[in-house]
Amino acid sequence: MIVDPAPAPPATAGATMPALQVRQLDVRYGKSHVVFDLAVEVARGELLALLGRNGAGKTTAILGIVGLVPGASGSVYVSGRSVSKLPSYRRTKGHVAYVPSGARCFPNLTVQENLELTARPAAGGWTLARVFERFPKLRELRSNQAGGLSGGERQMLAVGRGLMSNPTVLLLDEPTEGLAPVVVQGLGSLLLDLKRTGMGILLAEQNHRLALRVADRAAFIEKGRIVAEMPAAEARGSDILHRILGV
Amino acid sequence: MSGGQLLLFVVGGLSNAAYLFIVAAGLSLVFGALRVINMAHGSLYMIAAFVTVVVANQLGLTLGFWGGLVVAVIVTGLVGALIEVVVLRRVYGEEHLVQLLATYALTLVIAGVVRTVFGANYRTVKPPAAINFSVTLAGNSYAAYSFFMIGAAVVIGTGVYVLMYRTTLGRNIRAAVSDPELLSASGVNVARLYTVVFVIGAALAALGGAIVAPSQAVNASMDTDVLVLAFAISVIGGLGSIIGSLVGALIVGEVLSFGLQNQYTNPYAIAFVFIIMVIVLTIRPWGLFGKAEQT
Repeated sequence: MIVDPAPAPPATAGATMPALQVRQLDVRYGKSHVVFDLAVEVARGELLALLGRNGAGKTTAILGIVGLVPGASGSVYVSGRSVSKLPSYRRTKGHVAYVPSGARCFPNLTVQENLELTARPAAGGWTLARVFERFPKLRELRSNQAGGLSGGERQMLAVGRGLMSNPTVLLLDEPTEGLAPVVVQGLGSLLLDLKRTGMGILLAEQNHRLALRVADRAAFIEKGRIVAEMPAAEARGSDILHRILGV
Repeated sequence: MSGGQLLLFVVGGLSNAAYLFIVAAGLSLVFGALRVINMAHGSLYMIAAFVTVVVANQLGLTLGFWGGLVVAVIVTGLVGALIEVVVLRRVYGEEHLVQLLATYALTLVIAGVVRTVFGANYRTVKPPAAINFSVTLAGNSYAAYSFFMIGAAVVIGTGVYVLMYRTTLGRNIRAAVSDPELLSASGVNVARLYTVVFVIGAALAALGGAIVAPSQAVNASMDTDVLVLAFAISVIGGLGSIIGSLVGALIVGEVLSFGLQNQYTNPYAIAFVFIIMVIVLTIRPWGLFGKAEQT
């Protein structure tokens, strides 16, 4: 009999609790252990950059938080409430939004259908009209199939899909990959705006320039373990940044 | 061949195409969303045909058929839900061979149950009184029921289109076709959606079986008869494509009608269907309207 080693959940749940707490997250794919004892915390209105190279375990950690890998154990709390036992479709219903890498969308659905699919109306929250206001290009393309969009347009759509669910915490997996610099700039200012609305954001990136510009804190991941965590200002130009990302 | 005869064969082909399209559309819908080739699809069609006959003959000529159709769709839908939850859920991640064996096992089980419950004898049912008459066109007599079958296929095909492209359920089904994992990460219960899709597929098999019942003898081998044709249609049209099912059903329906009407080609009518299938497989292995599998 395996005793669940997860610590007791926080005493109170609600708006004062961190947007996201992850404790002792382990992820295994069959026999290979990919993520070890991962612990992260993201406050409301805070952006945590998860920095690491390809294959360091960033994507797997995010999949574990979203509940998309069967071999994950550990605890995940959103606003202090445990979602560890919930299937992914319930974690992502208004709690956690997942913006996958590679600007993944439903290619055979229209832009508008892609956005409506994740919609979870919230008072003063994101709506189709507000997403179109923020990304006017998507309004133009609303009736087009997402599969025909450019990489940058699809990335905007992927982020827009995340916003439509009005999540407590937004998880982004390498959203700047392959984007033109001007689009990256736009994404950066969007993330700063989202922080001001109180959304908690976990940004997994290799692009440390953007990540450390918008982040409050940075966590470095190597071989599936968090090896260092520090304020973003401290991380810029640090030895560890140099060592882990080779910059 | 005179114009009147030509019309006779064309209408015969269209009424074949009508029930075949309804059945093949269900097979295609299930494959598109669940990636499972459902060998038991013909069995669901046969269950519905027997239920329709039994209920209709109990209720009488005026309302009997309609009552039979409704009961058949409900019973078959429930059987479909049971199959999805008990059997299919366990084989989604498996290779196609395992899925084929699992659903083939179901065809054997259902065939046995049908023989036990309904017996091995042929059964017949008359069309509902309101459409049980014949019309004469260009010197030939036509059963009004043939036109009813064609009309029913148009209505059901339109219904499937509206469901898939005008409702949130249809949008979610289309999303599941392309990326079920992302759908789950978008707040949709994919396991429940799969059950719903399979029940819709079963209901389409049931509508086909109920509608075909008054036009032919209902018997315990009609499961494989229709399955073979539905597969031929799916291969020709492209498995997973509803439009492909329509075009495939029209081709197969007409080829059978023209092939069977002539005494020389009569024994080979079904062979023509498979010759066309082989030609399509050679030139476009994914079918006329299907998509090439990505590797």
